[in-house]
Amino acid sequence: MSAVTHEEAGHHTSTGIPNTKLAMWTFLGSECLLFGALMSVYLLYRGNSGAGPAPYDVYDIPFTSVSSFVLLMSSLTMVLSHSAAVDGNKTKARTWLLTTAGLGSVFLAGQVYEFTVFVKEGFTLTTSPASSAFFVLTSFHGAHVTIGILMLVSLVFMSLRGYAKADSPQTIEYVGLYWHFVDIVWIVLFTLVYLIPGPEVGY
Amino acid sequence: MSSGAHPNAKLYVKVAAWLAAVTGLEVLLSYVTLPSLVLLASLIVLSLIKFVVVVGYFMHLKFDQPLLRKPLLAGLITAFTVYSIVLFNMIMHSNTPT
Repeated sequence: MSAVTHEEAGHHTSTGIPNTKLAMWTFLGSECLLFGALMSVYLLYRGNSGAGPAPYDVYDIPFTSVSSFVLLMSSLTMVLSHSAAVDGNKTKARTWLLTTAGLGSVFLAGQVYEFTVFVKEGFTLTTSPASSAFFVLTSFHGAHVTIGILMLVSLVFMSLRGYAKADSPQTIEYVGLYWHFVDIVWIVLFTLVYLIPGPEVGY
Repeated sequence: MSSGAHPNAKLYVKVAAWLAAVTGLEVLLSYVTLPSLVLLASLIVLSLIKFVVVVGYFMHLKFDQPLLRKPLLAGLITAFTVYSIVLFNMIMHSNTPT
């Protein structure tokens, strides 16, 4: 691919990989440290609910499973957008980008709904160390999803306005890398936070 | 995008269906009464499999230059090592802040 990459990226690099792509992967590597820290804090505090409800008392696993499924499917639509861009089908690429943004928005709406229910049940940001750790972790992920949606929508608008790079396979791939990363963070987070039972059953 | 053959849309759909099935299995497992260690190990292994599949197929790392694996692996290994040490240390010394 080296030759293709050089030509497509418009510059030569000693690695044969466009600098933007390498930078994106390095950024994603650094994000592992951020989310690793937040997950560690959650694991450390999750048994410390004080007088408030424990996280496992308020979780709605079926609802969050549907949210997870939606985010997983948004990864599929993202990669289909890249595939369409590689095939030169700009309209299809834009449609899949918008679908991805839509699915991301559904996931976010689900998270807002879930937070609202938790707060009504007395599980708030300041209830206990466990609830603080939960809200900080999941909100950081939600913030990443929000940034991803903004990037996707911007890409579609820029593409419609004729900005040539917006619908190039490379640009869609870089945005896609970020989006898929947000998805894999949720894959780990969903298992660690929601599916693995709490300390009261021996974890 | 990549050094190898570009996977087609059909493959992506197959991978997504497979991932959805694994997610369903994870949720099912969380409702089944299993020995705690078996449940914990199963959920972590299934989660790791999904992680690797998304990174490999959707993020194209399976088809891209091996060099691109290094930044992600560096982040993952550093995070896992550092936070495992911290968690182990805090749990062993029962030093969980309140």
